[in-house]
Amino acid sequence: MTSSPSPSRKALSKIACNRLQKELSEWQVNPPTGFKHKVTDNLQKWIIEVTGAPGTLYANETYNLQVEFPQHYPMESPQVIFVPPAPLHPHIYSNGHICLDILYDSWSPAMTVSSVCISILSMLSSSPEKQRPTDNDRYVKNCKNGRSPKETRWWFHDDKV
Amino acid sequence: MVTAATSAMAERLKEDGNSCFKKERFGAAIDAYTEAIALSPKVPAYWTNRALCHMKRKDWTRVEEDCRKAIQLVHNSFKAHYMLGLALLQREQYTAGVKELQRALDLGRGADPTGYMVEEIWEELAKAKYMEWELVSAKRSWELNSLKETCEAALNQQRALDMSQTEEYSDEGYSSHTERLKALDLVFEKAAEEDKPTEVPDYLCCNITLEIFRDPVVSPSGVTYERAAILEHLNKVGKFDPLTREKIDPSKLVPNLAIKEAVAAYLEKHAWAYKMGC
Repeated sequence: MTSSPSPSRKALSKIACNRLQKELSEWQVNPPTGFKHKVTDNLQKWIIEVTGAPGTLYANETYNLQVEFPQHYPMESPQVIFVPPAPLHPHIYSNGHICLDILYDSWSPAMTVSSVCISILSMLSSSPEKQRPTDNDRYVKNCKNGRSPKETRWWFHDDKV
Repeated sequence: MVTAATSAMAERLKEDGNSCFKKERFGAAIDAYTEAIALSPKVPAYWTNRALCHMKRKDWTRVEEDCRKAIQLVHNSFKAHYMLGLALLQREQYTAGVKELQRALDLGRGADPTGYMVEEIWEELAKAKYMEWELVSAKRSWELNSLKETCEAALNQQRALDMSQTEEYSDEGYSSHTERLKALDLVFEKAAEEDKPTEVPDYLCCNITLEIFRDPVVSPSGVTYERAAILEHLNKVGKFDPLTREKIDPSKLVPNLAIKEAVAAYLEKHAWAYKMGC
């Protein structure tokens, strides 16, 4: 098994730590539909199980998301990837990287893990066909050595899917 | 009379003091500030800087003396009120200490970004208030419980008396008795509610920190944020409103006094909300 790409593994700042504790307790009371947080004692890395929404191409399929938080979260976005096997989707690479603008350039500190999860599920739900991005092989090859998707210069796919 | 020459010399001594302080040579810093004060006793910063050195050495009596002197010179120094508050809390002068910290918090809101200390002041105030709440609420809960037990005992006694007066057992008597006990339960549950920690309402929390507001400011889009958090966002992430994505110029943030009042009123009633995370 290869180790997952990780952002700088610096400990969470106090602000980040406070905020994640709040998010976690909010999640426990009111988790987004279709998601399950797999409890660990690691506040800095969450594993979240996602189930495809009923009536979509991914109905009843489950996948795991790995969310890692940088030291200065939420001023920096979390790193969110699917733990392979990743769902077949035109914006999701086989190494689990997700092409979604809010995870990179369009991040805002008012977003939360919960709102990010909802965006990812809605991206899955609106997919018309199960296929990899056209540049999958080239991209995945370039990401060897465990490069983080946050280091990718994303050229965002259209908004239709 | 302090001449220009002596005040220039005092300033130099202060600079010496500051550089000693940075090297954590607090004794030497105190000497430098003391000389500066001797030359030019009416500069509040000399007193507050010296107070900070005393604080580092946990010499709380001297912290208090220097802060009081600084406050005499200038009543709105949040640093002086802050350190005085800490000194008073150390001496277990609880009410006076909290009052000073509250004053410091009020003065510190909106202070210039380099000397902004609202979070530090808040933390100390929150610690003190939460501790007070723990004591007071434990006492309150104990009193309520013993009152409840007394009431229950009285109802049971009444019930026993009623039963001894009527020969037959009546279902009606029994059910009205249990109803009363239930109602009593409810009354006491209600009474204990305010002391039960729950969630702070979202409208009193910042969308970035998710914590109750310390220094709320409102953006041109009408969204309220914690001042330090929104400023950090504007500096590091981008000049846009985190929620509406409208462009923001940092100078367009204004204090949200209504929310500030609402937070104060909420905390007055629900002091458990002073609890800090990590």
